[in-house]
Amino acid sequence: MDLERKPGETPSKSEICSYFDPSDGTLDRRVFSDQALYDLELKNIYARAWNFMCHESQIPNIGDYFITYIGEDQVIVVRDKQGEVQVLLNTCRHRGNALCRAEQGNAKSFVCSYHGWNYDLNGDLIGVPGLSSYYRKDFDKSQWGLAKAAQVDHLHGFYFATLDPDTPPLYDYLGEVGRIGLGMLVANGPVEVVNGVQKNVIDCNWKIAVDNLFDWYHVQYSHASAGISGILDIASILHPNNQMVMFGEYGHAISGPVIPQERQAEIDALSDEEKFAVTVAKMTEDPNRLPQPLRMSFAKDMLGPTGVRCMGHPNIFPNLWVSTGGTQLSLRLPRGPFETEIWWFTVLPKAMPEEMKKKQVAFTTHLFGPAGLLEQDDGENWSQSTRTSRGVVSRGYRHNLAMGLGQDEVLYDERGAARVETAISEHAQRWLYTNWMNWLTADSWDEIKANNPALPKGRV
Amino acid sequence: MSQAMAAQAETPGLDRLSLSQRMELQFEIEQFLYAEAAMIDGREYRTWLDLWTEDCSYWMPIRRTVTLSDIEQEFTKPGDMSFYDDDKNSLTMRIAKMESGSAWSEDPPSRTRHIVANVRILRITGNETAVEVAFILYRSRLNTEENMWVGRRVDKIRRVGDDLKLCGREIYLDQTLIRATNLSTLF
Repeated sequence: MDLERKPGETPSKSEICSYFDPSDGTLDRRVFSDQALYDLELKNIYARAWNFMCHESQIPNIGDYFITYIGEDQVIVVRDKQGEVQVLLNTCRHRGNALCRAEQGNAKSFVCSYHGWNYDLNGDLIGVPGLSSYYRKDFDKSQWGLAKAAQVDHLHGFYFATLDPDTPPLYDYLGEVGRIGLGMLVANGPVEVVNGVQKNVIDCNWKIAVDNLFDWYHVQYSHASAGISGILDIASILHPNNQMVMFGEYGHAISGPVIPQERQAEIDALSDEEKFAVTVAKMTEDPNRLPQPLRMSFAKDMLGPTGVRCMGHPNIFPNLWVSTGGTQLSLRLPRGPFETEIWWFTVLPKAMPEEMKKKQVAFTTHLFGPAGLLEQDDGENWSQSTRTSRGVVSRGYRHNLAMGLGQDEVLYDERGAARVETAISEHAQRWLYTNWMNWLTADSWDEIKANNPALPKGRV
Repeated sequence: MSQAMAAQAETPGLDRLSLSQRMELQFEIEQFLYAEAAMIDGREYRTWLDLWTEDCSYWMPIRRTVTLSDIEQEFTKPGDMSFYDDDKNSLTMRIAKMESGSAWSEDPPSRTRHIVANVRILRITGNETAVEVAFILYRSRLNTEENMWVGRRVDKIRRVGDDLKLCGREIYLDQTLIRATNLSTLF
């Protein structure tokens, strides 16, 4: 089926439901190239979801702010005079100018550079030049404060915001799988973000950057040269036959290696001191490589019996990747159907010894970010996959995401987390696009919840 | 203090040279840097790697758009996150990757051109000379992809026997958000 809509016309629900077919795992390429569909994603997904803002350690003091995005809407994340984190739309209510043109900093208030309207750190309009002489006092400042996120909340100090008052509370939205994803970041104690967010732009659709994080199939081929460089032993991290996919509500998922039950039992038998000693010994063994620290015993209670064994890649729907081992977060920010900004945040336990911190910072810099030995090779795959979705003939050929389809039995643990334990597969990608269709076809949060795909049971 | 004044203030050793000695040194340094740039653009990566001392550092901090009142936050600092934080070991890994036959981000290879200009000797300390340059790095990739990175570099060049070697490079880009698929080229 080729495009029958007029350019700009919103796709119908039945058309959207044809994009991904869970029964055969095929995906319509237009999802990577259609402007009207992209516009709908901003409205139905980004403006309704909980979006990651920043970590509390990035804005410790009153007036500290960090600029980020909800879809393409720019927001100011700021600690107000009461110490509360506010999320304000970065646009003056007068003529729409951006109030903050810096990426981060500290402000006493936000003054618009156009006409000088001045907003308090909580978004209240506190100053309008010429209020008495030009507006002649016929102006109610209380009606013209900055637009705010409908809800702001955090888990483990990771702040999220949503523009929709009907979005379920963050804790419920994340569900078991989303909470495991964020919990992996704090499995070795409270954390802080290392100064500096790496940012670059790739000519690709945001979804291909998101679904790639579940993809352990590409690692051995796309990243073969990183293995040869010596930075990491791909064979030792891949565990192609010890893989787990966890399915979360609203499209959250985790995909990647899992610690086998019997190995986990050995780890559980160690004290926290012994676990730490194992990590340090491994670090000393090979100075080029950084081992995954063994998770402390409190992490088992926090992550649960399945989460504690999870070494895969969580995605908090829609676009927040928690990188393996829980040391980095990566946002895939949409910039039109053909462009995505990639942001990297590096997260370290506060109590980590300085030498280990130094090593971790160097290692993550060598591995990820635009110059990373691993990540260098991703961007072009994504941009070329996006580009070839524009060809009127090429786009008639559906992508194949069928790996492992119908091969695995869904297991549940006592906390209700659904998973398959399997070989490398594309279960998580299928779960992502199944949920993505639900978000796009829903007109409200009531509809998202009503039609939310049930966690899979039986064979998938 | 302006950058130019700062440079003049920290030139111990340099003011002891006569004008002709300074010209000779300037010529030698410039020719060295041009040859180094030509090695990268000519894809002679192993030869390029040999220019670096065993104790070298190669660093590109993250630059941010900040207000004048927060200007001290403009660049990340050593120990913070950066784009490159390399030593000889990790530079060697980068070259091994390029030579692996599977470095897809550079195969087909990019066409790069390093323009090195405004070469100023900042100071001479023992056998090391610190040099500031302005650079333009142009990359053409596949048929339509183009990148241009512009910035300032501070290079440390060490005299080892009859040779000059690179022992340090700090790369300060003028861009904040990196408008490129990756940084798979050498600066």
